[in-house]
Amino acid sequence: MARAAKITKLIRAAALLAIAQLASLSPTARAQTDTQLPTVPKECGEIAAADTPLPHGATALRERKQLRILAIGASSASMLGGARDTMPLLEQILERSIKGLDVEIINRGVSGELAAAAAERLKIEVALNHPDVILWQVGTNDAFAQVPVEEFETTVRDMLQWLRKHNVDAILIGLHYMKQLAAHEHYQAIRASLRRIVAEEGVLRIGRYESSEILARTMREEGHPEPSTFGLSEGGYNCMAQYLARAIAVGLFAKPTPKPLP
Amino acid sequence: MPRQANAVDFWRGFALVSIFINHIPGIWFERLTHRNLSVSDSAELFVFLAGWSLGLLVSSRSAATNSALLVFRLGGRAVTIYAAQILISSIALALLASAAYAFDNPLILEWHNAAAIFQEPALSHIGLVLLSHHLGYFDILPLYVVLMLTAPAIAMLDRFARPALLPLSFALYFAALIVPFTARTWPVEGQWFFNPFTWQAMFVLGFVLSRNMGVGAIVRRHIDGIRIAALPIVLVTAVMVVWNWFPDPTALPEPKLLFLNGKSFLTPIRLLQFLALIAVFSAIYGLFAPHVPWLTEFLSSLGRNSLNVFCVASVLSLVGQIIRYRYAASFLVDTVVVLVGLGLLWLTATVSEWRERQKSQS
Repeated sequence: MARAAKITKLIRAAALLAIAQLASLSPTARAQTDTQLPTVPKECGEIAAADTPLPHGATALRERKQLRILAIGASSASMLGGARDTMPLLEQILERSIKGLDVEIINRGVSGELAAAAAERLKIEVALNHPDVILWQVGTNDAFAQVPVEEFETTVRDMLQWLRKHNVDAILIGLHYMKQLAAHEHYQAIRASLRRIVAEEGVLRIGRYESSEILARTMREEGHPEPSTFGLSEGGYNCMAQYLARAIAVGLFAKPTPKPLP
Repeated sequence: MPRQANAVDFWRGFALVSIFINHIPGIWFERLTHRNLSVSDSAELFVFLAGWSLGLLVSSRSAATNSALLVFRLGGRAVTIYAAQILISSIALALLASAAYAFDNPLILEWHNAAAIFQEPALSHIGLVLLSHHLGYFDILPLYVVLMLTAPAIAMLDRFARPALLPLSFALYFAALIVPFTARTWPVEGQWFFNPFTWQAMFVLGFVLSRNMGVGAIVRRHIDGIRIAALPIVLVTAVMVVWNWFPDPTALPEPKLLFLNGKSFLTPIRLLQFLALIAVFSAIYGLFAPHVPWLTEFLSSLGRNSLNVFCVASVLSLVGQIIRYRYAASFLVDTVVVLVGLGLLWLTATVSEWRERQKSQS
């Protein structure tokens, strides 16, 4: 318990330091660099995410200086980070990193919801809220509910294609890392399925499992006690918010992959 | 003696069994519940019949004479449902914590919006008591509490300004869809899964249609014609559900909530389809009930003891989810979960009625 609290404190301090550094840039420095890519403190480990472009988010940034992000899926509040009754950490970091950007986060997560139910609601939420980017935490509940892998894959793939058709970027937040689940057959099958979908659909995925796994291994190798409940604490959520902020900022400025010649 | 099997108790029991099964996501038997052929599901039926029961209570002889006594009784009912919500939420939290420890998996502590309770217990417990924090799948009783808190106002409007009741309810319903607005959750920022401002319309409709006067009387007089008009709606929407033939929500005109299919806001298509569904199905109880007395008695006994059975069903659904996580899900596991669950629901109803008998004899 005390260890977990210490880790949480360290992560929180690192996050605040990162924000403070960005905020304290001199006016000259800020003018020179409109964008400062958010950093991820080393306590959070390495972010496992590709530099996937977010073209519709980039258009929103360019044309409106505003980014509307809709969070959906199980425990979606947990990926936004930050203290209670304050602006979510993800919003804070993005607004401080990208000069003049106004970020609006709409949280429509329903805890325990399966991918199929979330996908059904997602279409309605897109119609009502017109987001530029979707953060979809998906997979853990389907793995626990033993949803057949093919069914899960079809649901997520169809939804990603629908979002693309409706000019909305998607970021998938994958399954949690838990050492005890390394041998859980269905959990790992859903995880592999998500990786397959991401590779084929070309969307951004935050590899929470991989990040946490690397972090746990590093801590073990350095002789530190491994965080047994990483991701289930305020510190873990703040790390997720920082991964996301970094991935979004990179995605907004990443050059789109040229389409292959016919 | 418990009252004899009747259509209202039967359909309420049917709704309770559907809720029990649908609250175990992924279970094989989920595909047998009526939501696979219907836009509306057991939640609409549950809330409508709650309103219907309120109508029966208000029109009973004992309630007819004394308004103050009626308000007191309805308030007492709201308190009972509130206490039930607090009890089953506590049991659910204990179940999640037990499963997390037993299976050495802290992720289970995050299931169903429970993370906030375990990580920020001070504020989240306030939220639980204020009904602003709901566990996933434990979110219909908070709606029921709110509806029962409004029940005295509904009963008084019915008594002293009956023509205003339905228009007021629909005015609030359409305002909530057009503006739109809903109830917020706290401390986890979000919305109530069941928007009380729209779902009250279902409750009031149940109340109004149960009465032998006003709109209820008109519907009874023209029920045959209504059924003929309702049948195509039921059939067409069944086809829409099976083939997923719903329009793209982004292509719908504003205000979109008037046209799309959304459960949280009980959008008009769900309301209309539900009314058509009950118009058609209200005819069939009398046709099949004499031929399957065991089924009629079983479901009616659940319906007669709906609150107790609902509470046990909610907890058993969570147990079912944990069992399916622990033991790789299969048809056999799912069958055992459902059969044992239904047996325990029957036991709950039987014990509840036995206790009632003991009380009335003493």
